[in-house]
Amino acid sequence: MSDKNVIKSGSNLERVLSSGHFAVTCECGPPKGADVEHLQKKIDLIRGCIDAANVTDNQTAVVRMSSIAASAVLLQNGLEPIMQMVTRDRNRIAAQSDVFGAYALGIRNMLCLTGDHQTFGNHPMAKNVFDLDSIQLLDVVRVIRDEGKVNSGDPVQGSARMFLGAAANPFADPFEFRVIRLAKKIRAGADFVQTQCIYDMDRFRKFMSMACDMGLDKQCFILAGLTPLKSAGMAAYMNRSVSGITIPDEIIKRIKGVPKGNQAEEGINLLLEQIQQVREIPGIAGVHIMAIEWEERVKEITERAGLLPRPQL
Amino acid sequence: MMEKEFTQILAGDMLATCSAACPVHTDTREYVQRLSRGDYEGALDILLEVNPFPSVCGRICHHPCEAECRRKEIDSAVSLRMLKRFVVENTKEYRIARQKKPAEKKEGTVAIIGSGPSGLTAALDLALSGYRVRVYEKDTKLGGMLAHAIPRYRLPVEALAQDIGDILAAGVEVRTGCQVGKDISFDDLRKENDAILIAAGLAESHSLPIPGTDSKGVFLGIPFLWDVANGMRPELGDRSLVVGGGNVAIDMARAAKRLGPSKVYMACLETREEMPAWKWEIEEAEQEGIEIFNSWGPKAILEKNGAVTGIDFKRCTSVFDDQHRFSPKYDESVTKSVEVDSVILAIGQKANLDFLAQTPVAVDRGRLQCDRTSMTTSERGVFVCGEVMTGPGSAIGAIGTGHDAAKVISHFLETGETLKLAERKVTTIGELPSATAALAKRFERVEVNLMDADERITNFSPIEPGYSESEALAESRRCLACATGAYLKSPAHCAGCLTCVRVCPFGVAKVEKTAVMPAQECQTCGLCAAECPAAGIALSRFATNGMRDTLRAILSKSDTAKIAKPLVVSYCCLNETTSRKFLGAQTEEEIRQSGILRVMIPCVARLSTLDLVSPIELGADKVAVIACTENGCFYTGAEELLARRVKRVQKFLDDIGVGQHNVQLFKTDGSAEESWPRIWEQFRSTPAQTVAPGELLAEGASR
Amino acid sequence: MIVADPKPFGQVKGYLENFEKILIVGCGTCVTVCLSGGEAEVQILASGLRIAFGREGRSKTILEDCVQRQCDEEFILPILNRVENEQIDAVVSLACGVGVNFFADRLGKTPIFPGVNTTFYGAGMEPGLWAEMCAGCGDCMTAHTGGICPVARCSKHLLNGPCGGSEKGKCEVDPANIDCVWQLIYDRLQKLGRVDELQNVLPAKDWRTASDGGVRRTVREHLYRLK
Repeated sequence: MSDKNVIKSGSNLERVLSSGHFAVTCECGPPKGADVEHLQKKIDLIRGCIDAANVTDNQTAVVRMSSIAASAVLLQNGLEPIMQMVTRDRNRIAAQSDVFGAYALGIRNMLCLTGDHQTFGNHPMAKNVFDLDSIQLLDVVRVIRDEGKVNSGDPVQGSARMFLGAAANPFADPFEFRVIRLAKKIRAGADFVQTQCIYDMDRFRKFMSMACDMGLDKQCFILAGLTPLKSAGMAAYMNRSVSGITIPDEIIKRIKGVPKGNQAEEGINLLLEQIQQVREIPGIAGVHIMAIEWEERVKEITERAGLLPRPQL
Repeated sequence: MMEKEFTQILAGDMLATCSAACPVHTDTREYVQRLSRGDYEGALDILLEVNPFPSVCGRICHHPCEAECRRKEIDSAVSLRMLKRFVVENTKEYRIARQKKPAEKKEGTVAIIGSGPSGLTAALDLALSGYRVRVYEKDTKLGGMLAHAIPRYRLPVEALAQDIGDILAAGVEVRTGCQVGKDISFDDLRKENDAILIAAGLAESHSLPIPGTDSKGVFLGIPFLWDVANGMRPELGDRSLVVGGGNVAIDMARAAKRLGPSKVYMACLETREEMPAWKWEIEEAEQEGIEIFNSWGPKAILEKNGAVTGIDFKRCTSVFDDQHRFSPKYDESVTKSVEVDSVILAIGQKANLDFLAQTPVAVDRGRLQCDRTSMTTSERGVFVCGEVMTGPGSAIGAIGTGHDAAKVISHFLETGETLKLAERKVTTIGELPSATAALAKRFERVEVNLMDADERITNFSPIEPGYSESEALAESRRCLACATGAYLKSPAHCAGCLTCVRVCPFGVAKVEKTAVMPAQECQTCGLCAAECPAAGIALSRFATNGMRDTLRAILSKSDTAKIAKPLVVSYCCLNETTSRKFLGAQTEEEIRQSGILRVMIPCVARLSTLDLVSPIELGADKVAVIACTENGCFYTGAEELLARRVKRVQKFLDDIGVGQHNVQLFKTDGSAEESWPRIWEQFRSTPAQTVAPGELLAEGASR
Repeated sequence: MIVADPKPFGQVKGYLENFEKILIVGCGTCVTVCLSGGEAEVQILASGLRIAFGREGRSKTILEDCVQRQCDEEFILPILNRVENEQIDAVVSLACGVGVNFFADRLGKTPIFPGVNTTFYGAGMEPGLWAEMCAGCGDCMTAHTGGICPVARCSKHLLNGPCGGSEKGKCEVDPANIDCVWQLIYDRLQKLGRVDELQNVLPAKDWRTASDGGVRRTVREHLYRLK
C-alpha cells in the first residue's frame, strides 16, 4: 500500500482527487474492430465533461480494439484515459510488457481487473490465462512503480509510475467479505477504486460505513459507480443477467410507471438523484458514470448534476 | 431329469435351512423354484428323490422345513407343505409314467415286517436296487399308521394310494392279512430270506393303571382309530373325553367329534404350551368345538353297571423334572370330575413284539434291543427301523429311517457285514439377519380357507382345499431362493466403485477390500449384477445364455425370410404368470410363426444393459421388457433402476443407428396371460425403425 | 480419481471404418468407478459396434478385453501379446488418456484410438455424480484455503477471490451447477476460526510445477533403475 498523499503518476485524475475535488469519470469502450473514427466520435462527446475515461479491455470477453491502443487514441485526441487491464487474456510477461508500453505511450492511469470468464463472450472456446488475479496484478505494477523491479526481481529499465485503480463490488457475495477484499486490494496497491453500479443505496451506505470504519477511505480514493437506466426492459435485463447487480423493486416500479417514451428521461432523473445521494456519503471521492453506448448524455448529466466545469489543474 | 441350477453355491454339507430341517433333506429350494417356473414335473422328480410319500406328506407332514424357512423373518414362512401337495396333485399322470422298475436283479431276498412309512420306504429302496422284497402286513390295508391312525379328513384314501402305487409298481411283493407270529412264523421268515427288517411300529396303545379302564365305553386309542379307518363306528354316547395331549390324541378327539357326541373333551397332563400336539392341530380341534383341559391327570374312570359315567382328575403341577424326564407331580387336593359316556386313552403307544417270543431276537421289558447306528438287533441279519426303533416320531422321520435301513441291509447283502451309519453333519447359512429382513417387502402368505368347522364335524371329508394353480405359483415366488444370489466373480474384477452398495435395496452388498454379497443376507434380486461396471458380479439364478443360444440357432438357419417380422425378444417377469401358459419351452417353429421369443425371468430388473442390447446384435428386430404390475415388484427401487436402464439403452440404440423405439419397457396390467398378448400385438404392429447410416455419423460428429 | 466420459458412439465408429479386427480394451480402475470404461462398457460398446457395422452389411471382428490398469506395463503385456498373436488391426482403449498414450508408445504398427474423453481429477459427490477437485498443479496450497482448492475449483483459478461474479454462493459461469469456491473457502475458514487469513495476499503462483512448466515426470530414487 502506498502513501495517498504522494503524487505518483501526475495524471489529471490523480491531481483532481489529491486536491480534494469530487472527481468524475466515465466509460469509453473501444470498437469491435479497428474503426478509429467511431472511437473519435465518442471522445468528442465526452471531452471536457469528465476528468478521465475508462478504456475497457475486451469487456465481457468480446474481442475489441486493445485498451492500450484505444487509450493511446484517447490521448491523441485530448482525453485522459484510464487503461483497464484484465488478467484473463495475458500472462504476467505480457502484462508487464504492456504496462511499460502503455507508460511509454503516455498512459498514466491503470485499472487492474480479473476480467469476465470467456464463457460470456464471443470466443467461449478460447483458452483463458489468469496467470495472475487482479490483486496480484496490482501488486506487480505497484512493485514496478515503487521498487523498480519486475515480478521476477530483475530491475526495471525506465520505471512506469502508474496511478493504480481497482474495481470494488459491494453487492456481490459474501457481503461481509467485500470490505475485506477492498482492503486487500488497497494493500496490494490500489490508489483509487471504482465500484460496481449502485441501485441499492442502503446497502451501499452500509458498505461505505464499514469501509470508513476500517479507515479505507483514508488509504484510497473511492468513486461510486452509477449507470443510468434507459428503460424498464434494461432494468429487468440487468437484474436477471448481470451478476452482482440487483435493482430494488421501487426503482423498477418507478421506471415502469412511466410511459415507454419517457422511461429514458426518468432514468436520467434517477441518476441525478443518485449522484446527489452519493456526494453525501462520507468517504466518497467521486463518481464513475457508466453510460454504456449512451455517451451522448454524459454532457447533459454532468451539467445538470452541477459537475461542470471540470477543474483544470 | 433336468440339471439343478444351484450346486455351486451350497456345496457339500451346507444346505438351505429348509432342507437341513427335513429329516430326509428334501431339496426344498429346488422343487419350489421348479414349481415357480412351471416345471411341476421337475419338482415331483426332486420330491421323489428322497421321499416316496410326497402325497402323504403334502397332506400331513408336520413341515419342520417351514419352521426353519428364512422367509419367516420377513413376513411368514413359505407354505411348503401346500406347495408339495400342489405338485403331487398336478403331476399324477407324469408320476405314473415315470414309475421305475429295478434295472437288474440282484441276489438277495428281504422280508419286511410292517407296511408303515418306514417299512415301505425301505422296501422301495431295496426293490429298486434289485433285491426281492416281501412285505408282511397284518391288516388288510397297506400303510400302517398312515392308513389306520390318521383320520380321512386329514389324509384321504386316494392320497395314500398314490404313494403306495409307486411302491407296488417297483415290484415290491406284499402279503396283507398276514400276521407274523400267527399266520407265518418268524423262524420261517428267517429261513426264506437273507435279511429281515422289523418295521412293526408302535401298534398298541398304553392303558392307564387307574380304576375303571375295563369298563364299557373305554377305548384304547389305536384300536379306536383302526376301527374308524375300517368303517366301524364305535359307540361313544353323547359325551366323550380323550385322555392325552399329543397329535394322536387330537386325531382321536376330532374323529370322535365326527361320530356323534355333542361334546368332546380332551384332558392332558401338560400345560397348553407344553402340549406335544402341533399348534395348528390344537387350533383346528378347538374350532371344531373340542374343549381342552390342561394340567389334569386321570385319577379314576367312573362307572355304573360296568359302563362309563365319568372320569375323575387330579391337578398335575408339573410334567417333567429338571432333566426333562417324564416325571409328573400332582396336587391330590385339587380335583375335577367330568361326566362322560366314553373315554378314549391316547397316552402313548408301544410295540407289539409278541411275534418275537420264542425267537432269539432280544427283547427287554417290551422293547426291542437294538443298536441305532447300525440298525441291528441281537440277531445277525435281523434289522430294525421306524418307530419300533426310535419311539414315537413323525412320518417323515420314519421315512428317513427306512432309507437308512435299506442302506444298511444292502451293505449286508453285498458284504455280509453290518454298517454303522455316520451321522451326517449338516450346516446351513443360518438365520436371515433382522436388519436385512426389515428392508424386504412384505407379501402375505397365500392361505386357503379350511372348510367351516360346523360342516367339518359332520363327516370325514377332507377339510383342506389344495392350492389353485395361480395360488401355488404366487406362493412359490415368496421363496427367497436362499443362497442363489450374487457373488463376485473374482477379486481382481472389483474396483471398489460402490455401485453395488448403492443399488442394493437391502443393505446387503458391502465393500470391504472388494465387494461382498453375503449369501446369508442376499435376496437374489440381481440389481448389483445388472449395474456392476466391471461386469464382475454373477448370479446363481438365471443366466441369459439360453436365450442367446436359441436366438442364434433360429437365425443361423438360412430361412430368415420365414421368420415373422418383426422378431421380438420379449423378456417377461416370471413372477406375474398365473398359469403355465407361457412357461413351457417354445418350439423353434412356434417362434418363427409368432415372431416372439419369450424369455421368462424372475424379476426383469436383473437384466443388464448388455442383456437388453444383445438380442438386437443376435438378429432380433425389437426387444420388449415386460415388468410386473405397478408396485408389484419384490424389490424396492428395482422399477426405477430398470426404467432408467431402458432409457439408457434407448439412447444407445439411437446413437448406433437402430432407433430407440425398438426397445420398450411395459408393465403387466392384470394377469400376464391377459396382458402380455396385447402388449406383443401392439409392439409387433409397427416395424423396426432405424436411423439412416448417414444421419448416424452426422449426429456423432457434431457432439 | 481420473474421471472420463464415453465418447460419442459415432466418433468411435468413425475411427474404425477401415479396420477389420478390432480389440476393445477396458480398464478396471478409475473408468470402471465412474462407469465409463470398465468391462461392462466394453461389452456394450462392442455390441453396439457389431450392430452398427452389421447393419451396413460389414462384418468386422470386434473382440473384448479388460485389464486392471493401463498405466503399468505388467498389466498391458497380455494385451500387447494378444494384438500380436491374433493379428489385431486396431485397438480402442476405454482407459483414460494415460492408458491410450501408454499403449500407443508400445503398439508399434497397430493404431490405437481413444474410447473415452478424459476430463478431470474428481470425487464421487453422490451416486452418479462426479465433480472436479484437483488441477494437478504440483504445488498444493490448500493449506491456506482450508483444504479447498481454488486452482481447480475456481473458474478463473483466482488465488485471491472471489471475483464479482460470485452470487448466492454460486459461480456466474454456471450458477446451477458450480459453487463459488471462494464462498466455500470463506465458509470453511470461518468454521476453522481463520477467516482473517483471507486478508493476506496470496502471491502469484509459480506455474512451473504445473503442466505449464513442461511435461512432468517424477522419480523415486530408492527404486529407480536398480542395478
